[in-house]
Amino acid sequence: METKDQKKHRKKNSGPKAEKKKKRHLQDLQLGDEEDARKRNPKAFAVQSAVRMARSFHRTQDLKTKKHHIPVVDRTPLEPPPIVVVVMGPPKVGKSTLIQCLIRNFTRQKLTEIRGPVTIVSGKKRRLTIIECGCDINMMIDLAKVADLVLMLIDASFGFEMETFEFLNICQVHGFPKIMGVLTHLDSFKHNKQLKKTKKRLKHRFWTEVYPGAKLFYLSGMVHGEYQNQEIHNLGRFITVMKFRPLTWQTSHPYILADRMEDLTNPEDIRTNTKCDRKVSLYGYLRGAHLKNKSQVHIPGVGDFAVSDVSFLPDPCALPEQQKKRCLNEKEKLVYAPLSGVGGVLYDKDAVYVDLGGSHGFQESEVRPTHELVQSLISTHSTIDAKMASSRVTLFSDSKPLGSEDIDNQGLENSYSDDETEEGQDAEVTDKQYMSGKGIKRQKLETEEDFEVDLPAFADSDDDLERSSRDILESEAVREGGKPELLQTDDSSDSLNMEKSLTRKKATFTTSDSGHCTAEEAFASEDEPEGNSSLSTEEEDSENEEAIGKKFPKPSQVVSSQKLGSGNLIDETSDIEDLLKEEEDYKEENNYSTETSGALKWKEDLSRKAAEAFLRQQQTTPNLRKLIYGTVTEDNEEEDGDNGEELGGLFRVSQPASECKHKADSLDCSRFHVEAPHDWDLEEVMNSIRDCFVTGKWEEDKDAAKILAEDEELYGDFEDLETGDVHKGKPGPDTQIEDVEEEVKEEIDPSAEESAKKKHLDKKRKLKEMFDAEYDEGESTYFDDLKGEMQKQAQLNRAEFEDQDDEARVQYEGFRPGMYVRIEIENVPCEFVLNFDPHYPIILGGLGNSEGNVGYVQMRLKKHRWYKKILKSRDPIIFSVGWRRFQTIPLYYIEDHNGRQRLLKYTPQHMHCGATFWGPITPQGTGFLAVQSVSGSMPDFRIAATGVVLDLDKSIKIVKKLKLTGFPYKIFKNTSFIKVLAKFEGAVIRTVSGIRGQIKKALRAPEGAFRATFEDKLLMSDIVFMRTWYPVSIPAFYNPVTSLLKPVGEKDTWSGMRTTGQLRLAHGIKLKANKDSLYKPIVRQKKHFNSLHIPKALQKALPFKSKPKTQAKAGKTPKDRVRPAVIREPHERKILALLDALSTVHSEKMKKAKEQRHLHNKEHFKMKQKEEEEKLKRQKDLRKKLYRIQGQKERRNQKSSLKGPEEQLK
Amino acid sequence: MASQAHSLSYSGCNFLRQRLVLSTLSGRPVKIRKIRARDDNPGLRDFEASFIRLLDKVTNGSRIEINQTGTTLYYQPGLLYGGSMEHDCSVLRGIGYYLESLLCLAPFMKHPLRIVLRGVTNDQVDPSVDVLKATALPLLKQFGIDSESFELKVVRRGMPPGGGGEVFFSCPVRKVLKPIQLIDPGKIKRIRGMAYSVRVSPQMANRIVDSARSILNKFIPDIYIYTDHMKGINSGKSPGFGLSLVAETTNGTFLSAELASNPQGQGAAMLPEDLGRNCARLLLEEIYRGGCVDSTNQSLALLLMTLGQQDVSKVLLGPLSPYTIEFLRHLKSFFQIMFKIETKPCGEELKGGDKVLMTCVGIGFSNLSKTLK
Repeated sequence: METKDQKKHRKKNSGPKAEKKKKRHLQDLQLGDEEDARKRNPKAFAVQSAVRMARSFHRTQDLKTKKHHIPVVDRTPLEPPPIVVVVMGPPKVGKSTLIQCLIRNFTRQKLTEIRGPVTIVSGKKRRLTIIECGCDINMMIDLAKVADLVLMLIDASFGFEMETFEFLNICQVHGFPKIMGVLTHLDSFKHNKQLKKTKKRLKHRFWTEVYPGAKLFYLSGMVHGEYQNQEIHNLGRFITVMKFRPLTWQTSHPYILADRMEDLTNPEDIRTNTKCDRKVSLYGYLRGAHLKNKSQVHIPGVGDFAVSDVSFLPDPCALPEQQKKRCLNEKEKLVYAPLSGVGGVLYDKDAVYVDLGGSHGFQESEVRPTHELVQSLISTHSTIDAKMASSRVTLFSDSKPLGSEDIDNQGLENSYSDDETEEGQDAEVTDKQYMSGKGIKRQKLETEEDFEVDLPAFADSDDDLERSSRDILESEAVREGGKPELLQTDDSSDSLNMEKSLTRKKATFTTSDSGHCTAEEAFASEDEPEGNSSLSTEEEDSENEEAIGKKFPKPSQVVSSQKLGSGNLIDETSDIEDLLKEEEDYKEENNYSTETSGALKWKEDLSRKAAEAFLRQQQTTPNLRKLIYGTVTEDNEEEDGDNGEELGGLFRVSQPASECKHKADSLDCSRFHVEAPHDWDLEEVMNSIRDCFVTGKWEEDKDAAKILAEDEELYGDFEDLETGDVHKGKPGPDTQIEDVEEEVKEEIDPSAEESAKKKHLDKKRKLKEMFDAEYDEGESTYFDDLKGEMQKQAQLNRAEFEDQDDEARVQYEGFRPGMYVRIEIENVPCEFVLNFDPHYPIILGGLGNSEGNVGYVQMRLKKHRWYKKILKSRDPIIFSVGWRRFQTIPLYYIEDHNGRQRLLKYTPQHMHCGATFWGPITPQGTGFLAVQSVSGSMPDFRIAATGVVLDLDKSIKIVKKLKLTGFPYKIFKNTSFIKVLAKFEGAVIRTVSGIRGQIKKALRAPEGAFRATFEDKLLMSDIVFMRTWYPVSIPAFYNPVTSLLKPVGEKDTWSGMRTTGQLRLAHGIKLKANKDSLYKPIVRQKKHFNSLHIPKALQKALPFKSKPKTQAKAGKTPKDRVRPAVIREPHERKILALLDALSTVHSEKMKKAKEQRHLHNKEHFKMKQKEEEEKLKRQKDLRKKLYRIQGQKERRNQKSSLKGPEEQLK
Repeated sequence: MASQAHSLSYSGCNFLRQRLVLSTLSGRPVKIRKIRARDDNPGLRDFEASFIRLLDKVTNGSRIEINQTGTTLYYQPGLLYGGSMEHDCSVLRGIGYYLESLLCLAPFMKHPLRIVLRGVTNDQVDPSVDVLKATALPLLKQFGIDSESFELKVVRRGMPPGGGGEVFFSCPVRKVLKPIQLIDPGKIKRIRGMAYSVRVSPQMANRIVDSARSILNKFIPDIYIYTDHMKGINSGKSPGFGLSLVAETTNGTFLSAELASNPQGQGAAMLPEDLGRNCARLLLEEIYRGGCVDSTNQSLALLLMTLGQQDVSKVLLGPLSPYTIEFLRHLKSFFQIMFKIETKPCGEELKGGDKVLMTCVGIGFSNLSKTLK
């Protein structure tokens, strides 16, 4: 082989090998990598500019703080409500399939038809409520408001559809819940590359809409009409562990996504009038904030309602009780979807089917009775609904003309007699609440006869258990409404002597007053029962329970009135005890009497139990509470009493002002006068407040001396490190004793041990605090402090009512989120029930205070950039604000620089503007969106505008421009007389041509004429105008969208008021155009301008420069001036020609010479440059060499200097 | 139409202020019937009419209907507006009568309230301006209502029956209130007071101070009672004198007591020594009652607790005054809120009478009037 043929070696210029070499080369040259650079050239990396450094520091800090969220108090309850998962997507994308798959994944059950929300237990601590959202914009809006998580299904074979974008926008406005995309129909892609590309494209589009990095799930394809198990499982896992950030609106309002609805209307009413207003009960998990009874709710699509009653029910889909194990067992994987027929009840159009088996919905383990008396009753497994249904039937079979409340009560009681079950508990709960809430109303309806009717009803049933249960219920009812009923008996039994004694009693109280509005007087109403209790003895034989009922309120009343009257609370407890003792005696008597009566043997049990229950309650509930909340006197009763006596149907007997009247009209003063002043000269009285002063005795943990001693003890021992001395603190006497105790009686006295332990812990804690304080000094920022404060508050919120039972708790805090509640609502339009469609979500959104009122709402609004049209003022439009969807007429305005709100005819195209409408008051900062119509489907984007509520008011200040015009009829120099214009003296006016002026004085003679001055003289043809601002009014039009009242299948066809444009279109009315406003072709006329003529006199006066230089063109030069032509001789001509030729030659020569010189110069320059370069190069090389040698020398020096000492050491 | 919140109905003129104030805050209309219906002089009195006018001034869009005889009042509240204004209060009641309600409303206005009230600054019935300044303002500060413009100033002092006093009150607005946990009143570290005298000898005030000190000195040495003698136009139209005492604790609780002389021409003349001693005793009574809020401001504290965020607020009070008890009932009917009431019996410690621990969860009230910018 010949070497010639071989290829020449080429050096590698890139790749790992080249890099390696380069590195080595650099190392050879002592030019290292980055880190070395820092070492090699420290100056370059030193602080160059303090300003820049400060800036960069600021920037990092800014970025850091940007990540902070405003800390909020964590108000999530311990057992949170199920998470609302909204499955949304365009039609045929696979929503239902996904829900089915998810349910199957979590519960191993297959639901064939899903209607309404489905609640499932998805993990040890999490439940999900899954609901499907179709393409009806009403539904989309409603569900976006309650969603915690949105599963946004996207058909990958099609891409994003308009609904998806609309829903995203809706979500954005209403707080932006968590959104997870799910791509389906991925199996329709044949090529893998195309699939990948599509995925990527969709993912990035999704990210721009939601947030970069938002999770997008891929469901690759169907197997037997279902998604692949593994994928669904993964999706489920994702949902189960997902975290949520609280949304402002949701956390500040209670709301319920109803999963069950029942019509409670009296069937008789329906029979007589099928269109009568209905009474319905709605069930669902309470979410968001605490719900108070009797508060206002809004049902989107129906309207505003006042809650007539709320009660909580046992959780139908409870979380597993013990959390120890890792996963759920099959029994705990519950599913609850009554609207779909899971969980025991199946709804049809006009019937309810009860499924008694095959569901885990109601198990014994879930039944947690709150009352042990009822506990014994609870044994069967059938559902509430079943009993409710049956109870209704039994109720009307005997059909007694009773009040509605009685019907309700009795109906429930009957149902207990049919099957004593857990139902009892629920119903009792509701019943009780009802009574306690409505206490007084109830008594009016109930009469003594009711009780007598009730009693035989008890008697004719034979079952023992049933009897006792009913008794207890009854007794409890009595207890709850205790006092009111007692009052009622007084009213009903018209015995005169009773009333007399009552009034007498009152009179005594009044006379004892000192004339001021005293405590006793204020509580005169509370004193009433005392009088009654004395009377009660008369009736006690005949009406046992009632007597008990009467008895109950007595002690509390006596105690409280006494206590407050004297302002002395010391002997209160003893009083209670006494009274309780008394009562027990009384009770025993009672028992005795009942036993002797024989026939009423069963009652014995009742009284005992009731008394026990009462005692229990006495211990738990303080008397003050009963005093304040239990006995609210209402004047209505009195009125009823008053109305009785009329003389001749004309005059009314004026009764002496009763106690309550007196109280009602007494002095309104907040001062709390001292009734029985202490004698402050006495030593013991003085001593009673000794400790209120800093001079008094301090508590153990606050006494300065004590704390000091403790500190000494804690920090007494320390070692001085410098000197090595050890300082020992004196061992405190306590510790010594404790030591002894610990040693000696460790087994005997556990409390001592405990205290020691506590002490130890205290010590540790204190040390830790010290350390923390020292360590974090200055580190804790404002943000940290705020966060800590919030956390503390959250802890307090949780701890405060933890130990109380739910019934007491709901009274204080309201129904807390996470509870399964039943809400009764009255006066619901019948269409709501008749046209009930479970596919549509029913949301009960709680309204805050005064959110039910209407007023003017101002908002910042921007037309959506994807909406095709601009919006017009005074065109009805549908807003979605807060919970509501409603149609209203907004006015658009823009704020001028001086704060004037100027009306706009149309919204600006790409700019924010203001909008004001008359409608429901919604808190500021609430987002809203507007659509022009909620009916039908539009191919275009439907969301017309979005924005935020800014202000609420009861009046508005929007103005529009009004130009008043006038015409001059007499013109002097600057003064003109003008007619037809308003006469606002001093107002600024202007002509169209821009001459400004002012109105001076109105004239009498022609109507509306005035004198005005201008800055210049007007022309008669001028139009004068004045700009004024005219306030506009907003039509008070507020029309809630009642889409849920539409018939099934037409729910998306709601259409409210039409715009004038639509009306014109519908009626074929053409708008008459103003002819002056029409555009005509512009014809440009040729203009002729006359020549400028300057008067001679003026011309003369002008300086020369400005004088017109329009001298006439020089005419023909006169003959004498014309120069004669020169005619040369032939010789002369020759000379001239020669000279010409010579000069041409010369000039050419010169040109050539110049060119040559230029070239030469150039070359010379080049040469010089080359030389220079070479010289430089030489010098550079030389320098390099020199430096290298120098460097080497230096290095050697350094090395030797480093080595020096080492060698010395050696 | 949005259904107007169902109105509440009451009868009798007592607690008129509470009802109207709560109605304004809750947005629920209220109807009050039978106002002194059986009285010889039926209907609303001047001072009540003046109060209603004041409410009308500070709100926008309120509807007030009063029947011919003045025995029935219908009030549909508007939105609280605020701003700068003046109001001539009736001399039948003190300015305290009006100021107490304004203290409840002022933090929830659209514009910060700056109001000049004219009338009787100190009388025997209502809490005087001095006491409110010393007790109510620190209480409001606990709820986060605080700024430089938060002040209450007595410009002129006016005594009944003539009046002629002038008070300037300004209060910032807040969107939300902080929850409070006032469970420990602390110990009284100092007592301050103000002895005032108008159109009488300036010596009166000094005599009051001496007598009041004679009693209080037994408990604590740190007592300082200012004397305030106003002259000329600042002294109002009627003579009188009085004393207000405030005890401040280590934890920032203020307990107050006050007494004023009988109005000119009514009742027997009062010796300043007696007045001083009685007032000091009243303060001791107040201390005996105790709590973290003094008895006049109980209802204010409870209202602001109610209007807080949805957090637990706690306050320790002395025995509840009848006014407060009625207020609690009204709170329940207007806001559906119930307080957890625990009686704390006094133990071994010598700290006065029994206390009441009031606990509630705020209703999550937010100032709907305040503009968002």
